[in-house]
Amino acid sequence: MKIFCVIPAFNEEKNIMAVASQVKSSVDTVVVVDDGSSDRTAESAIRAGAILVRHIINRGQGAALRTGAQYCLNHGADIIVHFDADGQFLTSDIERIAAPIKAGLAQVVFGSRFLNREHSLEMPIFKRCFIMPLAKAINKIFFNVNLTDPQSGFRAMSREAARKIDWKQDRMAHCSEIMFEVKRHNLKVKEIPIRVIYHNFGQSFFGGFKILKELFIAMLVN
Amino acid sequence: MLQQTIALIIIALILARLYWQKQKNYIGINEFLFWLIFWILAAVLIVSLKFLDRFVAGLGFSGSGIEVLLYLSVAVLFYFVFRLRLKLEKIEKDITKIVQNIALKDK
Repeated sequence: MKIFCVIPAFNEEKNIMAVASQVKSSVDTVVVVDDGSSDRTAESAIRAGAILVRHIINRGQGAALRTGAQYCLNHGADIIVHFDADGQFLTSDIERIAAPIKAGLAQVVFGSRFLNREHSLEMPIFKRCFIMPLAKAINKIFFNVNLTDPQSGFRAMSREAARKIDWKQDRMAHCSEIMFEVKRHNLKVKEIPIRVIYHNFGQSFFGGFKILKELFIAMLVN
Repeated sequence: MLQQTIALIIIALILARLYWQKQKNYIGINEFLFWLIFWILAAVLIVSLKFLDRFVAGLGFSGSGIEVLLYLSVAVLFYFVFRLRLKLEKIEKDITKIVQNIALKDK
């Protein structure tokens, strides 16, 4: 089975070389989507041996992942893994996240920061005790999505699932939208515990509100 | 009375400019008609303020006619801003499509 890993990157010249090089050993193809970076992200990605797909202007992580997924589908990927460029995910988790799809136990696998209590304690306390439970409740109440990690950016999907999941959000709201899409298409889902190394706080409280606003507008536009 | 006269003069100037813009083909026929009807309606409402006062009082509003007009215009402005936001969202999506097509071209 051909595993492709999509890494959206925006001004990540410091991290992308190390991340792409490490990921390369766990997958068949690494696709770095340079999302209109103004630094040397693209050059670093090529030097790391990744396939480079380049957005001429910044369109957001959701858009970059969509471009990457389209590239993977066009080039015969069987499993597509979404991975972050900032080095917060562990490459050793890639094999684990792809395993349930390989075994036919799931079509989509989400990495969860909450399945392992020891790992979840590493999350900033305000995020762990306030933002995440709130996001989880919103997902459950409004969208009937019941996953332990409401904003997981580390996920894997089978080719068939990737063809069905059609997220429209260009920016950060794509995380939630992918979960809704998985639910809508009734895809077989599994969660696995992952470890995240926090370099910064990540999604803030107001960032969460922005995601809600984007989802609301998307509902009206669609 | 003086206020009404000033308002009507301003509307007349706006209409003159609108006509000039149409003559120079700066705006299309639809836009011209929209603004023409809009400003004529505004002029009619200003001329008939007394009637408007009685009309809104009859409808049960406590404010005067001009106040109710102001409330209505704020509501209409909100609606236009909302429509603009939706249109902007669609344009954003179209830009993303173009960027993605360029990115994947020859790949």
